Amino acid sequence: MTEISQGRVIDIITEFANIGAGSAATALSSLLDVELMNDATTCDILPLSKVSDYLGGASQVVAGTYTYLCGDLKSGVLVVLPSDSAKALLEHLTKEHVDLSNLNKIQLSALKEVGNICLCWYLIAVSKMIDVDMIPAPPDATVDLLGAVMDIPLASVGAKVDTVIAVHTSFKALDRQFEGYFLMLPEESTLRLILDKMGEVE
Amino acid sequence: MKDERIVGIAQMAICRAPERLACLGLGSCVAVILYDPSLRIAGIVHVLLPKAPANCPTDEKYADTGTRKLIKEMMAMGAAKERLVAKLVGGAQMFPSLNLSISDIGKANCQEVRNALREFGIVIVAEDVEGSRGRSAHLNSETGKVVVETAFSPTKTI
Repeated sequence: MTEISQGRVIDIITEFANIGAGSAATALSSLLDVELMNDATTCDILPLSKVSDYLGGASQVVAGTYTYLCGDLKSGVLVVLPSDSAKALLEHLTKEHVDLSNLNKIQLSALKEVGNICLCWYLIAVSKMIDVDMIPAPPDATVDLLGAVMDIPLASVGAKVDTVIAVHTSFKALDRQFEGYFLMLPEESTLRLILDKMGEVE
Repeated sequence: MKDERIVGIAQMAICRAPERLACLGLGSCVAVILYDPSLRIAGIVHVLLPKAPANCPTDEKYADTGTRKLIKEMMAMGAAKERLVAKLVGGAQMFPSLNLSISDIGKANCQEVRNALREFGIVIVAEDVEGSRGRSAHLNSETGKVVVETAFSPTKTI
């Protein structure tokens, strides 16, 4: 990140994020069978240590879906839904009352699927845009303290990376506002590849 | 809990009573907590990964180097190795079905901490580790007691 101007990187990644989030929203809307309006997508580049604060504090309860890209692009990818958004989505999807503290198998699987679909559609859009194959590992999901959910993503890149690309999306559906965060923790070589493909020759 | 100093990932803090320390949202990370009951000096290091590579600038990020550094710094503040007791919190497996070499790093973190403590002959008097749930640890430096909170289960004191 040192030689690349941070402002320019944010511009490129925001472009990225908008397209990815739009695609994920379309997929989610057809999964849930509801009208879904994308409100706003913002993008930030943060140091690892600031991520918890950006998402609202390490001790809040969130639903997290995590996977790792193992193709040309090497990056951890984490989708974080605040607990109220996750609960509302799950209740709509399963048509039953959801207690996040005690998800049954179907509900946990539904949660993984929501995360998986958001994640994959986001990646598909981005991968088309820059013409790079992205191969995500099968994801896993959990509901827990944000700090704890963040640990594995941080540990898997923590030795090599100090930068996180954080995308915040909010959308309207079912007469309420939903929030979602999409975190990418790319290895340095991956960040370079993305910028290279976007026409930023260094 | 107010007036607590939060110890973030790859950070270390040492305090004297009555100051308090806490680590929030420990997943696979481990909070290594050391306490000297007669001087009431308490310290925490919040480690992320098990083994430090050679010439690593941030000792606090790794279980082996972080634990050693905490012991040494506490001894420099007057704590005696013979009196120090250790408590461990964290080291959970957050995403058990993820098939990555890193997915059970919590256990490896605990193991490295135990090895490092053994080098100095420091005994682990209590721990709340492993499993699949995240934890927060609040350390009371007056007593050395640690309150462990989780997202959905009752809090416990170790």
